[in-house]
Amino acid sequence: MKLNIEGLLVYFPYDYIYPEQYSYMLELKRTLDAKGHGVLEMPSGTGKTISLLSLIVAYQKAYPLEVTKLIYCSRTVPEIEKVVEELRKLMEFYTKETGEKNNFLALALSSRKNLCIHPEILHANIVVYSYHYLLDPKIADLVSKELAKKSVVVFDEAHNIDNVCIDSMSVNITRRTLDRCQTNVDTLQNTIQRIKETDAAKLREEYRRLVEGLKEANVARETDIYLSNPVLPDEVLQEAIPGSIRTAEHFVGFLKRFLEYLKARLRIHHVVQESSPQFLKDIYEKVCIDRKPLRFCAERLRSLLRTLEIADIADFSPITLISHFATLVSTYSKGFTIIIEPFEDKTPTIANPVLHFSCMDPSIAIKPVFERFQSVVITSGTLSPLDIYPRILDFRPVTMASFTMTLARTCLCPLIVGRGNDQVAMSSKFETREDFAVIRNYGNLLLEMSAIVPDGIVAFFTSYVYMENIVASWYEQGILENIQRNKLIFIETPDAAETSMALEKYQEACENGRGAILLSVARGKVSEGIDFVHHFGRAVIMFGVPYVYTQSRILKARLEYLRDQFQIRENDFLTFDAMRHAAQCVGRAIRGKTDYGLMIFADKRYARADKRGKLPRWIQEHISDGSLNLTIDETVQLSKHFLRQMAQPFRREDQLGLSLLTLEQLQSEEMLEKISQIAQQA
Amino acid sequence: MDDQGCPRCKTTKYRNPSLKLMVNVCGHTLCENCVDMLFVRGSGNCVQCDTPLRKSNFRLQLFEDPAIDKEVEIRKRVLKIYNKRDFDFSSLREYNDYLEQVEEIVYNLTNNVDVERTKQIMEQYQRENRDVIQRNKVKLTREQEELEEILLLEQQDTEQRRLETLQEEQRQLQAKRKNKQALLDELERSQLPASILLAQHKDRAAQLETQIEKQKQSVKPTTIFSTGIPKGQTVSLAPVIRVEEVLYKYQPINVETYGPPLPELEQLDRLGYLNHVRTATPQDLAGGYTSELACHRALQDAFSGLFTSLV
Repeated sequence: MKLNIEGLLVYFPYDYIYPEQYSYMLELKRTLDAKGHGVLEMPSGTGKTISLLSLIVAYQKAYPLEVTKLIYCSRTVPEIEKVVEELRKLMEFYTKETGEKNNFLALALSSRKNLCIHPEILHANIVVYSYHYLLDPKIADLVSKELAKKSVVVFDEAHNIDNVCIDSMSVNITRRTLDRCQTNVDTLQNTIQRIKETDAAKLREEYRRLVEGLKEANVARETDIYLSNPVLPDEVLQEAIPGSIRTAEHFVGFLKRFLEYLKARLRIHHVVQESSPQFLKDIYEKVCIDRKPLRFCAERLRSLLRTLEIADIADFSPITLISHFATLVSTYSKGFTIIIEPFEDKTPTIANPVLHFSCMDPSIAIKPVFERFQSVVITSGTLSPLDIYPRILDFRPVTMASFTMTLARTCLCPLIVGRGNDQVAMSSKFETREDFAVIRNYGNLLLEMSAIVPDGIVAFFTSYVYMENIVASWYEQGILENIQRNKLIFIETPDAAETSMALEKYQEACENGRGAILLSVARGKVSEGIDFVHHFGRAVIMFGVPYVYTQSRILKARLEYLRDQFQIRENDFLTFDAMRHAAQCVGRAIRGKTDYGLMIFADKRYARADKRGKLPRWIQEHISDGSLNLTIDETVQLSKHFLRQMAQPFRREDQLGLSLLTLEQLQSEEMLEKISQIAQQA
Repeated sequence: MDDQGCPRCKTTKYRNPSLKLMVNVCGHTLCENCVDMLFVRGSGNCVQCDTPLRKSNFRLQLFEDPAIDKEVEIRKRVLKIYNKRDFDFSSLREYNDYLEQVEEIVYNLTNNVDVERTKQIMEQYQRENRDVIQRNKVKLTREQEELEEILLLEQQDTEQRRLETLQEEQRQLQAKRKNKQALLDELERSQLPASILLAQHKDRAAQLETQIEKQKQSVKPTTIFSTGIPKGQTVSLAPVIRVEEVLYKYQPINVETYGPPLPELEQLDRLGYLNHVRTATPQDLAGGYTSELACHRALQDAFSGLFTSLV
């Protein structure tokens, strides 16, 4: 259909539209008009992708000078493929409606199979790739240098974007890395020795260039503005490499000293935590290495590897990692912390020293993106509470809105089960984890649900260790046997092959009617990527609140930093993180308006206002006060009622006019009135 | 590091856990016991390269590769002499050339290339730039002290902030508890019906919540500018009232010597007194000192005690 959104002609390739899609497009258009950034939360399974694409493509066609490019960033390769599919449909619709040939070029960069073709990126109107190409400084330099300012960047499924930013700027160094580095450095030294004897001209040429302070000649660019490198600020990039690492031998000696220093640091017997400036001070005292040469380490190494014409770059990845670490530690004085542990917390007897250089401030990696592009849109199904993202990513959005699903029949049923039939409170709190009664109650819950829910149930635990403990207890108590009489049980493991096998069999069991239960973990592969549509997921059970491991020193350092910089309380942040994972997990079951599912939160802590308030709006509005602290029996009763209701036939005509609209219905006054109430500004 | 052994006695860390390896100027290692053994008969030579060594030159090995230890030693020594900084140079290019020079020297000394000539270059440089070296040394120590102060201040700040947030949370918990207790007390004592009391209690609890929310939102405001002036000081723009007072007039001191008068400061040179006083060096003159001052002072001393008045 062809829509008119505040004067903009939008081609929408389907005949029916959801009211919230219209509302979403409206907000998006306003964000683009204001040339600012936006945070939009829209429930999963409501056609977010096609709304985004159709609006931005229409905007591009209407104002080709305002928005030259759309950069769509997604998390995984399947998601990228889905986007390309929708785009294809949209383009076909355009050709059909307007009758003219489309001259839009869209590029998808996904893996090594589809390599980037550098000049083509400049001509493409739409580029689809993964977050890392824009956020990770090591890669952004290579791929996203040439993107112009007047582009719109969309981060889809961006609820985890702060973790992506942090991971891209963090480095972990173990003893093994350093040993392999030593081999690299020795190889470099030998290669230099050899080249000096055979073809010294190359080294001299490089030396001359470094003395002159020339940067490497690059391919001629059409636009000479590029994505700034967050690792090195602009002025420093223009400086010449310091004289102490000009010649190849001096540089190799420099690397050797740095490496020895790191080895000495790893030889400790207790935990050390320090900041970047302290680390630099220590390194200067011990091996007389300055800040400046460290900053240019990565660049100098790159130049040396190119001059020596090393063919197998992958062999040199340890030394590249170390040079990346050197550059990061010497550039940023705030926002990073160095933690050296002589052994990992979980294996205190095995000596495994590791140096964690972790970024605590996600805004560092994403700042160049916000500054470079005029409109950045962060969207996902679970972004609550909305105001935390602008605070931790340090940007000011012009729009922050949360949308709900308009439903003709309430197809989700969130229930909070706080007690067992024996009135013992159920919780995954650390103190009650070993409690026999709690484990038995959890088992009881699963048993009862397996008896009444058809087809597939997905159960999420807070961690692998916890899941293994509970399943072992259930086996001893005989609960597993009882459950298996109703449904088959599959379990997710840290091993990827086993998990995909389990998933396949689970789907088979759901298909042929035997029914199955999948036990998985809240931060695992299943919860992040797999959708359980229709009969694959009729109920999702969240056992406990999925808090991250709170005794990790890196996490503690990060919480302290957030408290000092952004005045975010530690408790608030931990709860926010746990609730977003919980919401992600339960959101797996609903992928469309005809889909229905039970969402069971099995922990008494979910009833508390501070946790309930952090659930996305489209889940919160279906939690009634009566379903806050149910026992298992009450839960079973409510679920039976809900499932029987949902099993009634539901035709498209029932939805028309309420949650599904045709063009005429859309344009009626009352509908527009209702639509304006869907979006709730944060 | 743990599998390195002493080249002389071949003991390693697992045979003798308290083994300490020492390294010397030639870059070779020896365990502590062997060092003692070597020097029991006066002086000794290195086991591997036979260079004459002194016992005092042995240092505890910090790094796995003894060559690195040696290089770091040499580097520290060289940097004590070559301690110019980037603002001592007029262009970045010159500074980078200077840095490369320093690297060359360290490289030569470490790998025993052209040692004599390099030493000569170093001595010459030292002679020529003695005052620059001295100046930079002083500057460096001062900077280090400042840095330490800043770090200390930062640490104290974070400690304080942490304590404050803890106290704040304690206070909030206490307020909540007091509220609950107040409700129970009221239910016991008061004559009003329970529903009204409950409503009042709910109100109070809601108020507390909003207070806490507001506190969370408000960024702790800074109270002083960076120069130490407290913010919010009302600066009145009214003109300051002029106070007219008597101007001070300088009266020179008149010392009564009851005898012949003291010659003036300006006449000392002409009268030849200055020939008996050491002339001021240029350094003294820079500070404002002149030889007349010393002379005049001595004369004042001499004249003032000679005669007394019997009046």
